[in-house]
Amino acid sequence: MPDKYIDESTLLRCPICEAVNRDREGDIYCHRCGSRIFRNPKLTTSRAWAFLITALILYIPANLYPILVNEQFVSKKGNTIIGGIILLWEEGSYPIALIILVASVLVPILKFIVLLYLLISANLKKHRYTKVDQHKLHYMTEIIGPWSMVDVFVVAILTGLVHVGTIRVIAGPGATAFVLMVLFTMFAALSIDTRLFKEKGSHGSD
Amino acid sequence: MAIKMDENQVLDRLIICPKCHTIHQKITISKGKNAKCDNCNKILYHYDERILDHGLALGITGLILFLVSNLFPLVRVEMLGHEQHVTILSMIFSLLENGFYVVGVVVAFMVFIFPLMILIVYITISWLMIQKKGKSLTKDLLILLSKLLPWNMVEIYLVSILVALVKLIGYMQIHFGLSFWSLTLFVLLDIYLSKSIHIGELWELRHRIYDAR
Repeated sequence: MPDKYIDESTLLRCPICEAVNRDREGDIYCHRCGSRIFRNPKLTTSRAWAFLITALILYIPANLYPILVNEQFVSKKGNTIIGGIILLWEEGSYPIALIILVASVLVPILKFIVLLYLLISANLKKHRYTKVDQHKLHYMTEIIGPWSMVDVFVVAILTGLVHVGTIRVIAGPGATAFVLMVLFTMFAALSIDTRLFKEKGSHGSD
Repeated sequence: MAIKMDENQVLDRLIICPKCHTIHQKITISKGKNAKCDNCNKILYHYDERILDHGLALGITGLILFLVSNLFPLVRVEMLGHEQHVTILSMIFSLLENGFYVVGVVVAFMVFIFPLMILIVYITISWLMIQKKGKSLTKDLLILLSKLLPWNMVEIYLVSILVALVKLIGYMQIHFGLSFWSLTLFVLLDIYLSKSIHIGELWELRHRIYDAR
């Protein structure tokens, strides 16, 4: 129950120092840490769109090119992300196949869907309230997002470790595209303007 | 100007839940207790009298564990008499040698440079605030700290080591190195550190230490 003369809906949380600030016109500087925490929402939204579209484009080569290359004697065999998951499943490593499936396929796709939803819903100014808690959704994407790096780290470890005798494992071109894809989705999630999120329910809670 | 000051003081008594954005009024809690969001149960803050001592101790312990994790091999594999081992740095160099500059540099930042910077920043902030020195430096370091935190991925890296090893079972003999265990401890400590020390509390403490007089 904040003081009566402050309108709850104008309160913002500084993403840097967590201080509570008031929404004002134009650029907002946090009163505690002095960082410029919010700018013109149009500018940040188009930036988030740019990052998201870049990530979506990078997701294509990340899946088409091999992420891992096995070299044995003279033969070279590349594995794409999906190919690697199928191979693991056929070998019977079900838990690992599931971990990779969740981390490298489901998490990025889920993140794309959530970010697209948040950005599109921010553009539609009609409704002020939604059934979905958009703040929670955004928080969740920030938590699960980095886990899509699992496959890249696995490739990095295998590149450093497996150089035994005639067998060698090195990263493939898909790994570069995948890393950039993860980076750009994280940039997109960080640059979304949380002021554009709609309140849950029909009226303000609490 | 006086009105604006008052407004900030009022605002500083409020806290917004990072998870569900519910607005709460801060209350005083007793030692060792957590204040939780009544909507989503997320811990908002924690009362720790000796937060700086704890930050300093955990930071230094983390630094030692991190150094050990980088001095010795993480894993060793054996196959038909051939042997190979890997450390965090050798892994990064082998990516760079094979021409994977983007992957190499990004991985280097996420599992080596950022975690190391976070530890050094924690230690410096705690030490400066205990000494009540460096008012503007602590501000810059706290801003740097919250920008670094989302990019630290050591815990994901640890899981990835296990995933990578499962792929090698059946082909090679696998031996865990000393660094694997110290990295595991480091990750546990890192999780504890991020759960027990909230950035907002450090900012409040900074305000009390330097602006109280």
